[in-house]
Amino acid sequence: MAERSRWGTSAVFTPAHASAGDAIKAFFDSRPDTVAQPFDFSHQIHLSKGAVCTDCHTGVEQGPRAGIPNVNTCMICHSQIAIDRPLIKQLTEMQEKGLDLAWNRVYDYQPQAHVRFNHAPHIRAKVECSTCHGNQAEQTVARRAVNMNMAFCVNCHKEKQASNDCLTCHY
Amino acid sequence: MDRRHFIKLTAITGTTAALTACGNPENQLIRFIPEDDLIPGIATWKPSICPLCSAGCGVIARVMEGEAEVFRNGQPGVIKMGLAKKLEGNPEDAISQGKLCSRGQAAIQITYHPDRLDKPKKRSGERGGGQFVDITWDEAIKELTGKLDELAAANDQASLAFLARPRRGRRLDLVAELLQRFGAKAPVTYEFFSDEVLRRTNASAFGSHQLATVDLENAKFVISFGADFLGTWNSAVAQSVAYGRMRQAGAGARPKFVHVDARLTQTAANADEFVACKPGTEGLLAMAMAAIANKTADAGDYAPAKVAGKTGVPVEKIERLAREFAANGPAVALVGGAPLAHTNAAFHAHAVNTLNLAGNALNQPGGLSFVPQGSRAATRPLKEILDAAPKVLLIDDVNPVFASPASWKVADALKRVPFIVSFGSFVDETSALADLILPDHSFLESWVEAAPESGSAKAAPSKFGPVMRPLYDTRSTPDVLLEVSRGLAKPIAPAFPNTFEEYLAGGGNPSGLPPQSPTGLPPQTPVQYTEPQFDGEADQYPYHFMPYASQNLHDGSLAHLPWLQELPDPMTSGMWCSWVEINEKKAIELGIAQGDLVEVTSTQGSVRAPAFLNPGIAPDAVAMPVGQGHTNFTRYGTNRGVNPIAILAPATVAETGTLAWSATRVKIARVGGPDVDSLILFGGATRERPDWTHGRGDEH
Repeated sequence: MAERSRWGTSAVFTPAHASAGDAIKAFFDSRPDTVAQPFDFSHQIHLSKGAVCTDCHTGVEQGPRAGIPNVNTCMICHSQIAIDRPLIKQLTEMQEKGLDLAWNRVYDYQPQAHVRFNHAPHIRAKVECSTCHGNQAEQTVARRAVNMNMAFCVNCHKEKQASNDCLTCHY
Repeated sequence: MDRRHFIKLTAITGTTAALTACGNPENQLIRFIPEDDLIPGIATWKPSICPLCSAGCGVIARVMEGEAEVFRNGQPGVIKMGLAKKLEGNPEDAISQGKLCSRGQAAIQITYHPDRLDKPKKRSGERGGGQFVDITWDEAIKELTGKLDELAAANDQASLAFLARPRRGRRLDLVAELLQRFGAKAPVTYEFFSDEVLRRTNASAFGSHQLATVDLENAKFVISFGADFLGTWNSAVAQSVAYGRMRQAGAGARPKFVHVDARLTQTAANADEFVACKPGTEGLLAMAMAAIANKTADAGDYAPAKVAGKTGVPVEKIERLAREFAANGPAVALVGGAPLAHTNAAFHAHAVNTLNLAGNALNQPGGLSFVPQGSRAATRPLKEILDAAPKVLLIDDVNPVFASPASWKVADALKRVPFIVSFGSFVDETSALADLILPDHSFLESWVEAAPESGSAKAAPSKFGPVMRPLYDTRSTPDVLLEVSRGLAKPIAPAFPNTFEEYLAGGGNPSGLPPQSPTGLPPQTPVQYTEPQFDGEADQYPYHFMPYASQNLHDGSLAHLPWLQELPDPMTSGMWCSWVEINEKKAIELGIAQGDLVEVTSTQGSVRAPAFLNPGIAPDAVAMPVGQGHTNFTRYGTNRGVNPIAILAPATVAETGTLAWSATRVKIARVGGPDVDSLILFGGATRERPDWTHGRGDEH
């Protein structure tokens, strides 16, 4: 973690950003679209073989968060499928050692925005995963294909006549 | 573990996002495959039992998936797991009835405390020097087993002692059974705020060696002799719930509550009438009331006129209270706190029982009843190991070095013990003297059970499994004891189950032995009034010293929980500090102002703390909350305030040998002006105090 800026701060004041540069970047929502991942996973291959999002991202229909699969989830299929591939061998080895993949988050909100997102109602409203996450069939590791700023959310809410009350998302 | 870690664990997803955005430091740690199958973002509530006092309140813990830094197979790493996030009272529980006190709410901080011990430790330097090195569980258990084998080989099993809190339940039963089968004596128990004298008096009066359950809900007249039953005494949550129902009763005359004490406690502040009574004479008032209620023609020494002089309560008031007690049934009397900590405590307990019998309160609605209880394991008092040092001492969740008068020299006695093992989750003044520390799971990570002696009209034994998986390389203490018993050169016979879980499953009744109900009414042994003995001459030490259980830190065992440190005391609003309560008028007379540094001196020593001017305390008494003044108890508890227990005289209650902590007289002297850092009251003086050594300024 970056050192916290001491500029203009006191022991009791906690700045939201490590530096003025970080604050400016956050203001303009300037972030890289790609996030380094620990494993060369391909959404494209999996979707082309007939897998669907909810096979691995469990819980998305029930709760606020889409589950990020752990190695055990991978091995449900890969204990049988493509077991001779180097990457899959790597996974098998990890499972044997009880180790998991340290996936990094791709989509999130700035904490100071106080936005809370709940997947389940969106799935119930039949919003396609690709609406917010882009066409994963074209992606290997997930990248930030859609800029989820407030306008993006509000427009869709307007279109689908969902509530645009502030407290729907900011609480 | 640093404070960042603590915050991360207790916060919800927003914090996780913030840390991730900043460049996730956990990525440097290996990541374990989750052991739970939880839906992210969905909470489940799991039952457990609050371990902080003997009330045994049932709680429910809100468990959600989160990320935690943990130890698995001796390796640190990150894992997604079900984490307890919040505690509430269990609505299904007969004791807590869905409510929980502030201490219980803060119990969750034990699990995530940044100074919690995460693996076994072995002393590496001088005893008490605080130098420990990490060892593995195998090494630790081998060492303990080896020491016990040495005792067995020398046929000296009696030199093993076990020191614990006097809690009823299967955990202490297991310890007692293990000791017995090994050939050692019964476990030693110690608690600073002990109600043993009342239990013993109840055994003689009612045939039940336990505290009574008071049916406050249906009582029309309640008189409490010093019992802080809404705050710290006995089953405070159950009593508060019942008291609330009593106060909110519908039609009819409003029930009356009278509190007798020398200091206005939180409970006293709820009373309709507060009766100031000289310390050590409370039982006289109860006896006088009983005599009037019984219409005794000649009350002898307990005639109101005689009692008035000693108690300081006017004759008319005694007579009126007695008439009200007799006329407004069901009426009930309680005793606890300071009256039970005088040298003549047995008399006060006897007197209040006599008053209850005069009011026909036993086993009646609105009166006292005794929950059927199994026999409990025999225990020994602390004095036995102070007088004759054992060779191996096992200590479970008790800190007598802090919670006993300096004159008992507990630390010196422990230093004479060749081998000490502590099962504590934290280094405190007592476990700092240990040779081995084998940290227990937190209660949320363990099998828990309770057989509350009081709080519910019916027996409410309960047991629950772990709420969450263990975070660290800790082990459940009963399981460790069972493992040690299996590893002995001469195994214990008959053998025990392999785990505490199996042991709990084995017994139908969590209190161990077959339940027994109080039978009949054996004649109560009368206890005659004797003058209370006070340490220190009245002319030299003019003030009664009244240490009292802190609403937040209780007997000091909770001083490590920051939520409780920062919680303002309900009567003074003091937080993070100690204070000396002095009668307001008396203080003005002595030239002492609010916040002035005052030295309180007994024959045993002195402590310095800021003055708090209190209109609700007798002019000849000064009071101090117990709990602060730890010299070694985590970053939040160490070197904060002073410990009033240290200057108590070693006076004891004759009948039980327990400490008479109200029997000390002190003198006070102003030694300095107000110091803004020493008296911290809520509002006005509230501020950040970034004075612990680490954990501030290095997060966010």
